[in-house]
Amino acid sequence: MATEELEAIIQRCQILEEEDFKGEDFNLFQVACQKCLEEGYAVKVLEVFKNEKNKVIVKNMGWNLVCPLVRCILSYNLEDEKREHCLSILDKLVQLCNPKELLLGLLEQIEQASGEQISQTILLLLQPLQTVLLKFHSKKSYSVGLSLSTILNQLSLLPVPYTKEQIQEDKLGLCKCCSAVVGFAKPFVDQVVQSVEASTESDVRELKEELLKFCLKSLKYPLLIAQLDQLHEDVEEDPLRHFATEILDILINIGELMPIMFSHRGSRNQNWNNPHFLDMDRKHSADSLACLSYLVFVQYFGIDCFPMVFSPSYLLQCNMTHIEVLLKRTEESVLTKGLDLLGNCLLRNGDNSLHHQYLEFKGFITTPQDLVKVMTLCPIEHLRKKSLKILQLYIDKFDAEGKYTLFRCLLTTSNHSGVEGYVIQNIKNQIDLSLKKANGCKWFTGPHLVSLLDLVLLLPEGSETDLLQNSDRIMASLNLLRYLVIKDNEYDNQIGIWTELNKIEQNFLKPLHTGLNMSKTHYEAEIKSKKENRRVAHNSQTVCSVTVGGEKMPNMTTEMQLQVLHSALFTFDLIESVLARVEELIEVKIKNVTDKNIGGHVKHLMS
Amino acid sequence: MTTDEATKNEGEVQAAALAERGEDITPNKDRGVLKIVKRPGTEDASPMIGDKVYVHYKGKLANGKKFDSSRDRNEPFIFSLGKGQVIKAWDIGVATMKKGEICQLVCKPEYAYGSAGSVPKIPSNATLFFEIELLDFKGEDLFEDGGIIRRIKRKGEGYSNPNEGATVEIHLEGFHGGRIFDCRDVTFVVGEGEDHDIPIGIDKALEKMQREEHCILYLGPCYGFGEAGKPKFGIEANAELVYEVMLKSFEKAKESWEMDTKEKLERAAIVKEKGTVYFKAGKYTQAVIQYGKIVSWLEMEYGLSESESKEAQSFLLAAYLNLAMCYLKLREYIKAVECCNKALGLDQVNEKGLYRRGEARLLMNEFELAKCDFQKVLKVNPQNKAAKSQLTICQQKMKEHNERDRRIYANMFKKFAERDAKEAGKATGERDAEKAMCEKELETQVTEGKA
Repeated sequence: MATEELEAIIQRCQILEEEDFKGEDFNLFQVACQKCLEEGYAVKVLEVFKNEKNKVIVKNMGWNLVCPLVRCILSYNLEDEKREHCLSILDKLVQLCNPKELLLGLLEQIEQASGEQISQTILLLLQPLQTVLLKFHSKKSYSVGLSLSTILNQLSLLPVPYTKEQIQEDKLGLCKCCSAVVGFAKPFVDQVVQSVEASTESDVRELKEELLKFCLKSLKYPLLIAQLDQLHEDVEEDPLRHFATEILDILINIGELMPIMFSHRGSRNQNWNNPHFLDMDRKHSADSLACLSYLVFVQYFGIDCFPMVFSPSYLLQCNMTHIEVLLKRTEESVLTKGLDLLGNCLLRNGDNSLHHQYLEFKGFITTPQDLVKVMTLCPIEHLRKKSLKILQLYIDKFDAEGKYTLFRCLLTTSNHSGVEGYVIQNIKNQIDLSLKKANGCKWFTGPHLVSLLDLVLLLPEGSETDLLQNSDRIMASLNLLRYLVIKDNEYDNQIGIWTELNKIEQNFLKPLHTGLNMSKTHYEAEIKSKKENRRVAHNSQTVCSVTVGGEKMPNMTTEMQLQVLHSALFTFDLIESVLARVEELIEVKIKNVTDKNIGGHVKHLMS
Repeated sequence: MTTDEATKNEGEVQAAALAERGEDITPNKDRGVLKIVKRPGTEDASPMIGDKVYVHYKGKLANGKKFDSSRDRNEPFIFSLGKGQVIKAWDIGVATMKKGEICQLVCKPEYAYGSAGSVPKIPSNATLFFEIELLDFKGEDLFEDGGIIRRIKRKGEGYSNPNEGATVEIHLEGFHGGRIFDCRDVTFVVGEGEDHDIPIGIDKALEKMQREEHCILYLGPCYGFGEAGKPKFGIEANAELVYEVMLKSFEKAKESWEMDTKEKLERAAIVKEKGTVYFKAGKYTQAVIQYGKIVSWLEMEYGLSESESKEAQSFLLAAYLNLAMCYLKLREYIKAVECCNKALGLDQVNEKGLYRRGEARLLMNEFELAKCDFQKVLKVNPQNKAAKSQLTICQQKMKEHNERDRRIYANMFKKFAERDAKEAGKATGERDAEKAMCEKELETQVTEGKA
């Protein structure tokens, strides 16, 4: 019997002094304890542990007994009194054993857990771990750091709950662990805070360093991934939001919020200099810092500690690095953060207030291109819409020359007919605004505009251009041209369209005619042959296949193909009708001018 | 009256008083920023534009409510003056202060956060009240290495800076030890100042200057004429220089995104040639700038036709190889290795790439890796004599190194070996090592007990 074996060893050992123990005694004791635990005699083990006389042998068993003990605890139901006994044994271990050994034992347990046991183990062991760490007198920072990083590494294996229901259910316990780990870190934070004055002390400095790493790591996971929007009515109860505030509080309390928010700017105070942090791989901290910026500026966490004297344009500039990081990702929650942060920074600036030369700062010209990527490639609809909205906001904030540069850049880089159409629409609005002003802006009239129009009023690949693919762009260009022809007075040529007609004719209208004719003939022929085929082989199975995202779509029947072909023809007709309208207008206006000139000429002759 | 109202009224009274007595310091004289000196400065010096200034401040809204204070954070607030980093009122106000001065500023919304406000603390169209103490200021350290310190005498226009390759028209005066050695108007291309006896520090500083800017630049030797000095101007080796520069005008070089592939390829040929001229003249920093352009233009170019792509690749390969050579000369071996790696990414068996990487590694004392590279060179071209002799050097150095190590570590090795034997099989990771220590402690306790 296990209990008897244990009893026997105890009998033998109790009389020994510590130095008289032999290695085998420990072994026997360990085996016996383990057996007792496994066979359900926890109460017996507890009895042994409680006995003052056994203190000596128990003292050295910490590391060895943690594993079987944790296994037992996790296997019992919450109500089981055996579980209570085991917990009491754990308490005893923590009280009696060598802390250094115990620390390793506890961390080993946390590290080895997997699946559902990850959070159970963490929740179970945080308290003992904290007690053990607090027993370390000096040089504890390394151990605290090791503990925190072990815990976060384990938590990073758990998926972040997303919906309100998932958060409430907290199936894998991530949320519970997050709030528990804050409690775990609290005494160490307090220690740093209390010794702020004596911060030259190396141990405190190291401890601060470890806490900083912990905060940065938490920002990267789970906070960056978590949906921290105020989606849920009872915001206060969202545990991940709560975790975020706690992390920010730690950063503020240890006096590191400002330093790290400016760490990438190189304009740091000497006091803020922090060699260890610089050593840390900056790439790893980029995600964390981006998340931190989001929390401060969009969610206002810790904003009270942020200086309120920076200019809005400078804040945008500082945040651009973070926005770039966020927009390069594909996860919904991360992209949302990037878009929200950009939107927030833009809204701080007045319309037309950003000087065009900001576009020369890092990220200012690439970010709108990133927005276009989200708009055209992101599979999530509301993000595509949001991205478009923010692109418009972005355009609105720049001065005329900035808008002009942005348009040029977007037209040459977007490679997407819809986006190009959108930009062309924007150009039209700017011309309109410029015409309404007394002395129009030089960027959207005259030579500058003409050079911009060179990018718009053309077919990218001449008459060979795929008109269907480019229909958005072509329609927008035609609308713009129509607008220009109507608005620009043929006599004073303010916008400058009339001197450009030849070029437009050559680069745009003529190839468009040719293209339309070719496409229409091609599609009509296609329809005809489809129809004939249908008559010949009625079983319309031999058809083209379409793959979307690598997945084969159901084959198209001849009927469906015909439908597509017809709708293409319809598009061509639409383009053709607008084209006809534009050409008609041009003709009339040119005729006016020549008539008038001739008239004037005649009048001149007659007088 | 409630306390809230009381503070509000008090705030308003204060505000009114300030508005009455304050001096209008706006350039437009529109009373947008009013200033009252509370305590005059201790020195007469005021900060210059671009200087790094250290202040303590607190800010209040018109109702007296404090919205921010650097003293609450226990940290002076630091910013670059006149760069638009802070609200307009501050850039204007702090520039008028003397070291040690304390003043109050009343800032109209147009000089603060305007109609947008600043969520969540500053409402729309708010007038702000600040009390500012100017603690200190110093010249701007342009590259955070102390090599170029700039003090701006007159601020330039706008935000645009000349980029590498821009054509600039400047007036410059060079001083050394109180003697003026150079004074002229000159037009040149940024990155090619050397052609006009202008040190590299001026090229670098120009990239941070604006049109019409007038500044003083304090150049360390590595940004000046360096080890070679400049006999023409009577400048000895490693001299520190002071330049006064006025940027009269400039025309920017096209950015990468503004050029199409054809243009990039045409220009690549030109800058490659320029780089080679610099290289032959021993101007390696300048050569790096030229070759670097090729990389920035062509490294990320997509959608090329086959012939374009071939051409681009050959330019890139040449650029990487030449950059590697320059970095070898500049003793920046890590960068040299990086460039070789990129070159080898394009052409795995490039003889020069392998050879230069070998050289760089040899100079970094990475003998094994260097040896590998030279061996690969010989595999590609068994006739390469230089590689053969480098291999011999490698062997020799390895031997020397080993012997020295052996001498130094002779005793230590012995100790290590003993300990290793003891711990063998126990320690793998860090934690295991710790565990092992624990066990050992246990053992010693026990054995001591027994003894």
